[in-house]
Amino acid sequence: MSTLLTVRDLVVEVPARNIKIIDGINFSLDSGQTLGLVGESGCGKSMTCYAVADMLPRGIARIGGSVTFEQDAGGGRATPKIAMIFQDPTSSLNPVHTIGYYLETALYRHQGLKGMDARMEAVRLLERVGIDRAASRLRAYPHQFSGGMNQRVMIAHALAAKPQLLIADEPTTALDVTMQAQILHLLEELKAETGMALMIVSHDLGVIARLADRAAVMYCGKIVETAPVAELLQRPAHPYARALIDCMPSIDPQDLDPPVPIPGSVPLLDSLPEGCHFHPRCLRASVECSAHFPASAAVGLAHEASCYHPVAA
Amino acid sequence: MTAFILARFLRAIAVLVFTVTLVFIVLRLTGDPAQQMLSDNAGPEALAAFNEKWGLDRSIPEQYLYYVVNALRGDFGVSFADGREVFTVVAERIPKTLVVTVSAFILSLLIGIPAGILAAVRRETALDKSVMAGAVLGYSVPNFLLGLVFIFVFAVWLRVLPSSGSSTWNHAVLPVATFALFNAAAIARFMRSTLIDVLGQPYIAAARADGIPYWDVILRHALPNAAIPMVTTIGFVAGGLLGGSALIEPVFAWPGLGSGFVNATNTGDLPVVQAMIVLFTAFMVAINFSVDVLYAVLNPKIRKH
Repeated sequence: MSTLLTVRDLVVEVPARNIKIIDGINFSLDSGQTLGLVGESGCGKSMTCYAVADMLPRGIARIGGSVTFEQDAGGGRATPKIAMIFQDPTSSLNPVHTIGYYLETALYRHQGLKGMDARMEAVRLLERVGIDRAASRLRAYPHQFSGGMNQRVMIAHALAAKPQLLIADEPTTALDVTMQAQILHLLEELKAETGMALMIVSHDLGVIARLADRAAVMYCGKIVETAPVAELLQRPAHPYARALIDCMPSIDPQDLDPPVPIPGSVPLLDSLPEGCHFHPRCLRASVECSAHFPASAAVGLAHEASCYHPVAA
Repeated sequence: MTAFILARFLRAIAVLVFTVTLVFIVLRLTGDPAQQMLSDNAGPEALAAFNEKWGLDRSIPEQYLYYVVNALRGDFGVSFADGREVFTVVAERIPKTLVVTVSAFILSLLIGIPAGILAAVRRETALDKSVMAGAVLGYSVPNFLLGLVFIFVFAVWLRVLPSSGSSTWNHAVLPVATFALFNAAAIARFMRSTLIDVLGQPYIAAARADGIPYWDVILRHALPNAAIPMVTTIGFVAGGLLGGSALIEPVFAWPGLGSGFVNATNTGDLPVVQAMIVLFTAFMVAINFSVDVLYAVLNPKIRKH
């Protein structure tokens, strides 16, 4: 297994207001693997995706660190193909263009297909993502489709690029539960079929648990813990990761523990507490925690956490 | 789509009939044309004779019926002022006004749309700020005042262009420029804000993420969406052309519908005033109807209903 993507000491900020949205994060992703980014709204998980795809919005800039891609073949390096799907599929599709236009222009751009070839490939892609009567749907507009169908169209569009890395930013958040399950299933299948790597962002640990091989927990622009996903769910080391897991309601009737909310609220990025950003909300915090941000340290096999007082396994 | 257009067409006809009726009644309630047309010392016999001659002694519903029946046959009566057919009086002024308004309209689109696009794309730069400063200036100065400034600069001071009349093409330059700059300012401002709004939409971010070249994103993905609200604004501008001609033409003594309308109102030439209002209304209704049809063409959500 070779490394596809390496992110080193990435720092992203809003220069005009001198606010660091992402503050020195490190991670890597092997080809064919899935990395899950999890955390509350505003923790920087979406911005991490945008920084990797090199499409940060205006007014936000990468000011430090590196994002590098390695190619399999021959050890040569080139920009790999990255495709992205978004949280709200219907507003991510241009309302004045047909589904056919959307897919066919992408097929021309990425694969050089034109005319009938492009049309046939577009139909094949739509069928692949589970849209029936695909040929007749090419003339449809996004407003004629449901959110779930539009997300399938976005995935078909992403496949047109034959990506090595698919970035999925909250791909199922706007969908209802049954649709969520279908989309997750589709992503799993496509990953196995094409061998592409997947970076999936979600605040839903269930989604991460289902799709990801590894997970990284983010809090206030930093990765506070990273581990294989099963390990993270069973033996979280960082108190924040532990708290996130405790927040999840269980559907097991034997499990009588109610979900436990995390006390306090996420601090604003322009007034982050000194030291570990989580310490004011943390039950295990000590004097040390308010002085310096803890360095990332191994707490298990391929399992690292930034905490002075990790939760014992 | 056909049903949509048919419904809009019927609505346009209804608006036209309503306006003609309203104008007819209001004009007859706002002063006695005989008093206005005849000299102050005209006797009661003269006034009565005038009223009888033009049918003004009959009841308003009677006059209205008579007017509508004749209007449908293309007969709008004769001018009180010189006894010529109203149709001729109005028709001979139409080309003069079209020359100024149509060229000003095209010019304002050619200036306003690219200026607005550039300002939106180069947002917050010196280019954007100077375009917008120009637009605010052009939009806030009343156009008759701008006309006077142009006359002062180009006719009085530099002496390069004639200030009034319509005998040569040079005479059209100042009225067209006055008209076009005012409208271009309005179009540029709205183009900029509409495009900035569209550029903030998720589908634009998605298009960029897909690696579509920058100007392709602007031209093929953003502009078709911006065109939908733009049509409304451009419709307003087009609808204001004839009304604007009443302000601008007198400044340059340009013998079009605008100055004709002002003259006829001043002299109380009722049939001419009325015919011109009907024409202005018909023009406005036609513009609104075209805006509705263009909406349907540009917006798949309406088209595919």
